[in-house]
Amino acid sequence: MSLIPSLGNPLAWGLLAAIPVAIVLLYFLKLKREPVEVPSTYLWSKTIEDLHVNSLLQRLRRSLLLLLQLLAVAVAVIALLRPGAHGEKTGQGRSVFLFDTSASMQSVDDGETLSRFEKAKQLIRNRIDAMSDTDTAMLITFSDRPETVQSFTTDRARLRNSLDSVQVTNHSTDILGALKAADGLANPRRSSDVADVMDVQVADAKPADLLIYSDGGFQPVTEFSLGNLKQTFISMGSERVNNVAITAFSTERNTEQPSEVQAYATIANFGGADVSTTATLSLNGNFLDAASVEIEAGEETGLSFTIESEEAASLSLALDLEDELALDNIAYTGLRPLRNVSVLVVTAGNSPLSVGLKTEKTIKICTPTFVLPSYLQTEEYRQRASAGIDDLIIYDSCSPSEMPATNTFFIAALPPASTSAPLDPATATTDPSTQAEASEEPNGAPNDPTNAEVPANDNGNWRWASEISSVNLIDIERTHPLMRYLELFSLLIFSGRGIEGPPGTIELVGADIGSVLAIAPRDGFQDLVLGFGIISRDDDGNPQTNTNWYAERSWPVFLYNLLRYLAGAADATGAPSFRPGNTVRLRLDSSLSDLKIRRVGEPATKVTLGPNGVIEIVDTEVPGNYRIENGSELTDLFAINLFDRRESATAAVKEFELGYESVTSETQGVEQRIEYWRWALIAMLGLIAAEWWVYTRRVA
Amino acid sequence: MSTAQNTQLLTPALLARLERMELVSRKVFRGRLKGERKSKRKGQSVEFHDFRNYVPGDDLRLIDWNLYARLDQLFLKLFQEEEDLHFYALIDASESMNFGDPTKLHVAKQLAAALGYVGLCRADRVSVQALGPPGRHAPVLRGRASLWKMLNYLDDVDSGHNVSLYEGVKDFSLRNSGTGVAVLITDLMDKDGYESALRMLIGRRMDVFVMHVLSPEEIDPPLRGDRRLIDIEDGDAAEITINAYALQKYQETVKSFIASAKSFCAKRSIVYLPVRTETPVETIVTKYLRERGVVR
Repeated sequence: MSLIPSLGNPLAWGLLAAIPVAIVLLYFLKLKREPVEVPSTYLWSKTIEDLHVNSLLQRLRRSLLLLLQLLAVAVAVIALLRPGAHGEKTGQGRSVFLFDTSASMQSVDDGETLSRFEKAKQLIRNRIDAMSDTDTAMLITFSDRPETVQSFTTDRARLRNSLDSVQVTNHSTDILGALKAADGLANPRRSSDVADVMDVQVADAKPADLLIYSDGGFQPVTEFSLGNLKQTFISMGSERVNNVAITAFSTERNTEQPSEVQAYATIANFGGADVSTTATLSLNGNFLDAASVEIEAGEETGLSFTIESEEAASLSLALDLEDELALDNIAYTGLRPLRNVSVLVVTAGNSPLSVGLKTEKTIKICTPTFVLPSYLQTEEYRQRASAGIDDLIIYDSCSPSEMPATNTFFIAALPPASTSAPLDPATATTDPSTQAEASEEPNGAPNDPTNAEVPANDNGNWRWASEISSVNLIDIERTHPLMRYLELFSLLIFSGRGIEGPPGTIELVGADIGSVLAIAPRDGFQDLVLGFGIISRDDDGNPQTNTNWYAERSWPVFLYNLLRYLAGAADATGAPSFRPGNTVRLRLDSSLSDLKIRRVGEPATKVTLGPNGVIEIVDTEVPGNYRIENGSELTDLFAINLFDRRESATAAVKEFELGYESVTSETQGVEQRIEYWRWALIAMLGLIAAEWWVYTRRVA
Repeated sequence: MSTAQNTQLLTPALLARLERMELVSRKVFRGRLKGERKSKRKGQSVEFHDFRNYVPGDDLRLIDWNLYARLDQLFLKLFQEEEDLHFYALIDASESMNFGDPTKLHVAKQLAAALGYVGLCRADRVSVQALGPPGRHAPVLRGRASLWKMLNYLDDVDSGHNVSLYEGVKDFSLRNSGTGVAVLITDLMDKDGYESALRMLIGRRMDVFVMHVLSPEEIDPPLRGDRRLIDIEDGDAAEITINAYALQKYQETVKSFIASAKSFCAKRSIVYLPVRTETPVETIVTKYLRERGVVR
């Protein structure tokens, strides 16, 4: 236990010491003495003489008023010095506070009134209060992203203000970024090459205490070395959990009966006790349905509702119970109005494709338009391509001169080079001479891989990776939504070419000659390229089958996936859900002008549409249903949900892996400053009151 | 001017009680006129004193003829003479006496009047006078009828005659050569000291009484805090912070002042009589002074 002087400046000490001296001087020098007549000063002067013998000390000793004043000042000075005590002093004098602001910190543990976030805030505040004048500290918050709220400072007031400004978020947890931020200050790196003997360390290492206030809920951090940081993990919350969460909630229209909607939810019990509760489904804020839920400890269950709604709707599912984390007891999803996607098919004739796009199932979500490759030369096409009217354009064995502002699917052809790259007129299909040639030779599509004489489109973006040869499939990316439910290994492909795409390309089907189906992003759009044709032409120009895919069950399924995923028909079934804080990118009709975004139950705010109809929404902190409206008409909607099992599993972690060593929680011994100066102030007030009482008594 | 000063010095009731009293002198003095007091002289009272041999020239009327008949020798029969007593009441009329309620001067005048009246009733030679200039025209009184003269004189006496005690007594001594009883009514607060004044009175072989008049405000001053004390006699100022300690010191000083005065008087056969102004004059005269043997 030690007193902590807060005044480091000797001048301040001097000033404080001067106050009592000044009071004593003023006390003796004060001019106002009340004159009073006495019969004779004869006896008084004798008394005064007597007093003079030990005058000063006697006067000081016997003057209660002065004594009280001096005492009051002394106590005030002591209060100014901010006396307090703390258990033990931290070794480094530099502290880095890592403050978890993720969603799970909103939990209120059993028997507590404050949330974990508030408790952690209080603990950090106590630490700040216990800092001495020479101690420095910085404050970093972390959720799914780190934020340096306050860099290193000795100013406790500034630290406190920064701490006050910290708000808990609905985000998930990722501690690595925050650790790196702290690490950058404590462990300076060499400027460049470690092996270079001339290279010296650019800054002095600054050892610091790393104080982590968190309830865990993040992945073990292995690729990290603490170096000069001396970590202390203060685990917030208890290991006993009482939390039930909705971990998934989505809707899908029945394509057979568009007015019928299926809503699916997954509810998980993260607690240690069985839970019985009810889940209430609301449509546009009105009660719609309810179901009782019984979940055993540690288990999860599914719920499904069937509702009727032809219109777009905002659905919410709420659990009727109180647990530690209220945020995950309610989930949102949106229901888009069912709409058809528009598909433009540029082909010289491809009956498997046209049949596949006109099945009973696909025709409900798709309006295909078939045009000849010559249509690419028309002004109508240019306008159509640049306006992005179509949701998908399929180029069958042909290629446009410029990429359209929409998603594309190239069959046995490559997308043209980007607009910045010069286009070789000899290889461009849009070249009039080539076009004329193509019209004369229907089988001579320029990029047709079955035609060996056609040079490869080596444009630097997409290019052929092999010569024409037979294709044997090796690998299929089954997790991609385009490839769902597909069984392709029974395919026979007579000829095809491997393809290579620009950076970011995902191989969907791999063969012995390289990728034969790949998808790549392009300015918010996606391009899918198939390395082999469905049909080929013989020497007479008659169509020949190049593959038996059209005869397989997977062909219409692939086309259906194509329409759902690439053409955007899948969006028509249910609104997407995003995590809080994520940036939501949506593609809308670029002709829309009066766009507003509104969280259900909140006023709308105006948003601006970006180029090519892409809109980015960043204000997605609060879970809920978000509607994008054009005037009064609903344009799109999406939902923000926590849906994070790590956050919902609110059991506080008492130990976690950090740089291959285990960090154990140190809930005990959290240093707390005991303040004495408030008592000193109260004593001072009491002394002043006593002095006033003595004074009035004396004067009266 | 306090209210007490407007009240009459002696009430009729007190006058009636005073008439039955008598001043006591511890010494026997020679008087001037025939009076009621035993004198050092041998005279013609009825009280036998002594015999002595006849020497030629003696008054033949004093010869004890019965003794001559028995012893055949001439003896004179001597008788005690009865004369008047000289009584002086000296009032210190300095400004310091004009303090308190009633003022010390008023009490002093009352005491002087009371004692003077006792003397007048006993046919003594009474002179009540203030020290300093007013004393020069103080009347010498005899007989009860002179009461009003005495009171008129006292009424005219007021404070402000700031002569020191010594000067006042010296002036008195030079003017009055006779012996007798002298009662000095004073507060003894003279910065030059009171001792020389008393010594001078003793030097005149007077039977000296000192009535030390003090007001309660002097003994226990009702003063606190930071004060500037101004002497009403000479305007002298003293700055003092009056707290409990200073008050205690003052009271110790007062006590030692009284004790030293008492001791000084006792050593010189002066009767020291402390008088507090809050005590009624009737009580002082009829009880206090009688107990101390000043009157009977």
